[in-house]
Amino acid sequence: MIKKNSSPRVDYVIFGLTVFLIFCLVFESFLDLPSMVAWLGRLHPLVLHFPIVLLLMAAGIGLLNQIVPRLLLTIATLSALITAITGFFLGTESAPKADLLFWHQWMGAGVALLAVLWYWISTNHLQQTYLVRGIQLVVIVLIGLTGHYGGMITHGEDFLALPNSNKTEKIPENPLIYEHVVHRIMDKNCIACHNPNKKKGELEMNSLGALIEGGESGPSIVVGDPENSELIRRLHLPMENEEHMPPEGKKPLSQDEIRILERWITLGASDTLRLEHLDNTDPLVGLVRKMMDQGAENKWAKLPKVADTTLLNLASDYVTIRRISGNSQALSVSVFLPPNYSSKNITRLQRIANNIVELDMSGIPIGEEELAAVGQCQNLEWLEIDRTPITDLGIDKLKTLSKLRVIKAYETAITDESVTVLKGFSSLKSLYIWETQITDSGLSELKEALPNVHIVRGIDPELKDAFIKQATSLDSLQ
Amino acid sequence: MEEDKSKSENPLKVNRRHFFSQLSVGIGSLALGSLLIPDLFKGGPKPLASQPLGIPHFAPKAKRVIYLFQSGAPSQLESFDYKPTLAKRMGEDLPDSVRNGQRLTGMTAGQDKFPLMPSAAKFAQHGKSGAWVSEFFPHIAKIADDICIVKSMHTEAINHDPAITFFQTGSQQSGRPSMGSWMSYGLGSENQNLPSFVVLTSRGKGNSQGLYSKLWSSGFLDSKHQGVLLRSGKDPVLYLNDPDGISRSDKRHLLDHVSSLNKLHHIETGDDEIESRIAQYEMAYRMQMSVPDVMDIKKEPESIIKLYGEDSQVPGTYAANCLQARRLAENGVRFIQLYHQGWDQHGNLPNEMAGQAKDVDQASAALILDLKQRGMLEDTLVIWGGEFGRTNYCQGNFDPKNYGRDHHPRAFSIWMAGGGIKPGITFGETDEFGYNIVKNPVHINDFHATIMNNLGLDHEQLTYKYQGRRFRLTDVAGNVIKDIIT
Repeated sequence: MIKKNSSPRVDYVIFGLTVFLIFCLVFESFLDLPSMVAWLGRLHPLVLHFPIVLLLMAAGIGLLNQIVPRLLLTIATLSALITAITGFFLGTESAPKADLLFWHQWMGAGVALLAVLWYWISTNHLQQTYLVRGIQLVVIVLIGLTGHYGGMITHGEDFLALPNSNKTEKIPENPLIYEHVVHRIMDKNCIACHNPNKKKGELEMNSLGALIEGGESGPSIVVGDPENSELIRRLHLPMENEEHMPPEGKKPLSQDEIRILERWITLGASDTLRLEHLDNTDPLVGLVRKMMDQGAENKWAKLPKVADTTLLNLASDYVTIRRISGNSQALSVSVFLPPNYSSKNITRLQRIANNIVELDMSGIPIGEEELAAVGQCQNLEWLEIDRTPITDLGIDKLKTLSKLRVIKAYETAITDESVTVLKGFSSLKSLYIWETQITDSGLSELKEALPNVHIVRGIDPELKDAFIKQATSLDSLQ
Repeated sequence: MEEDKSKSENPLKVNRRHFFSQLSVGIGSLALGSLLIPDLFKGGPKPLASQPLGIPHFAPKAKRVIYLFQSGAPSQLESFDYKPTLAKRMGEDLPDSVRNGQRLTGMTAGQDKFPLMPSAAKFAQHGKSGAWVSEFFPHIAKIADDICIVKSMHTEAINHDPAITFFQTGSQQSGRPSMGSWMSYGLGSENQNLPSFVVLTSRGKGNSQGLYSKLWSSGFLDSKHQGVLLRSGKDPVLYLNDPDGISRSDKRHLLDHVSSLNKLHHIETGDDEIESRIAQYEMAYRMQMSVPDVMDIKKEPESIIKLYGEDSQVPGTYAANCLQARRLAENGVRFIQLYHQGWDQHGNLPNEMAGQAKDVDQASAALILDLKQRGMLEDTLVIWGGEFGRTNYCQGNFDPKNYGRDHHPRAFSIWMAGGGIKPGITFGETDEFGYNIVKNPVHINDFHATIMNNLGLDHEQLTYKYQGRRFRLTDVAGNVIKDIIT
């Protein structure tokens, strides 16, 4: 008879929890947890860190041929069981379980059960050195995987993806409606199940040809007729209908996405149609632009966090700092002329330089010092430096600002020397440079380098003349 | 008893005994509540006003609005809604099938005939967009490709006061906040040294309707959102300047003392309006510096003055106000509301309207051109329009050279430009009589919802709770007109 060296009470607790866990896992679909119990699931993120540390420690000690302290193993096993059970509770909140959660649950349960097995072996002094070694190794690997899957559930699947993955979210200017908009909607919602590898319902959706060819239910789209297109019909079915797509448990398409698909089919489901081909009043224009704008808001998602208190500290009666929208980290800054202006008004904004996307310094007597500070605002897209005493030297300080979309520099003394810098702004869309020293040759150089930029040299002279002449001719009448 | 009295007078004077006695009731009712209503403590849907105030809900397309209100209701049939049928069927009675039971004002209810009256102004198509604009508006015709003409506005109101109140506050009854106040409430101020909502008025020679400060009132919103009427002439804001012999530092001392007294009073009563008042005093102090500077149009070059027309040098004219509006917009005023009175042509329409149009045509168009060259049309929304339309039939004697038109709520035209509105389009259509809308109707609630959308505000989210319910500018209606948004 081998003498046990732990208190029976702890053993009972571990035994009880193990039985409970197995019971939960086996009868999962029959369980309807009271809400109070389900609430315990919220403790999962809190307790899960204990087994990770304790079990890794115990397994590590064991693998180094040291004696694993009894107490350590006991606490580690207990915490693993509690974590698995609370995790199970938490998981019941999101039925049906997606792939990630499914694997996380079973691997997590595996860790807990392996820990119990190890505990049982060591409690009963069974001489199973190799088995214990194996358990220790598997526990380490499983903890890593479970943790990784859990992390992906909470932080998103691409949380650990390397930066600079080439799947950019941004829709290009003047997009192809099929490739950049329609296909993107399908890629997000449909293609996971309807691709050459996983042809649900014999349907592929990753090419226009495949869509027209269709699947079991015939062609998915009828060109020019959204109402009779299988694809659209299924999107509009009530959620509880078996045929509704995407199927139950997956996120349905938004109203705007459905409207885009419908309008695209009405217009002939072409794969060469571009946004600019469309009449400005076409509803598709607004829908696509809206989608592009959402992309624009996403691009600010990676800006560093800035606290409201920081903004309050930096703002003053003459410097207004505002978030672009409710929870955005992108900032819009407007500077107004205080009675006693000093460059500090602007240079002190360097603390939030990376968050400023719009900066209005119209009419402020700024110099090179301020512009050097502005040069730090790497994410700046909209810059107003009109009616300021800036010079070419100041413009030179801005050359690193590759994201500039709009520059207002009218009524300033900049000359052709600035053209070289202005030419380098590849994202530029509008440039306001009337009443500057930039000559016609400088202008044509600019136009050549930036053919798509809207360069404003003031009101069209003919139009202006018409306005002014009419005024004087009326005067003479009076 | 005495204790109770002081407590009811001042909710902040709660002592320990009150606190615990109320707490026990509180806990008891919590427990009872959870027994009676099982879902009481479950997380429900997010509360309506979960957005932080004073910040757009989403990235805005426009940061500010210039609203060129044509008070009195200019006729759509002599401006933007070209109806050749009226000339073909001139003098014929308006068919009942078209009028379809539309109520009439007291001014034409007595008429036994409703003879169709064509426009005295000739129409032509302008710009690449081919927009129809009448000869009354030669300058606006030149910017046709920069504006979006909406021909399908409609309203329920048929008289001036309810109609203009509807446009300004989203309700025909007075008492709600003006849309400028709502925007100030929703977006906050861009420039702390100027009011975020400013009003400028002017008056033409045509038949006028009254304007009153309730149109720019903040209603139940904090009084800091009230529209500030800027007057023409030496003192744009009354009582803003210090009396002779009072220096700026004296004023500073005075304000500091008044403010500390007010703060004491606030601690005692907890009334938030006191804080508003302290802030208003401070803003007035800063406005003493900022307002004269912004209002001084002498700084404008000759070419700009000429662009807006010679009138822009005459304070108090519509042209001067347009130029002023641009300067205010440049200085971060959120909502600039102009009113030009005199558009109520019940008679003598061809003459009066030509005069009214001459007042506003060049300056309105110049404002668009000026904003455009400054890149401000990219984030400033300009609106031009009245409170309703005018009838396609003649009021009074039938004389194609000197006729009148009555109020018509079912269809009228306005235009908008910049700030995320598609340029160079015409939206909506009326029937051949110009009486009913046949395509893309835009109600005032839709108009408000669209403007708010472009300013980055969800019209269903921006609410204010007052007298037990949450109020919105669009009340319980309104759809964003997506087809006119870029």
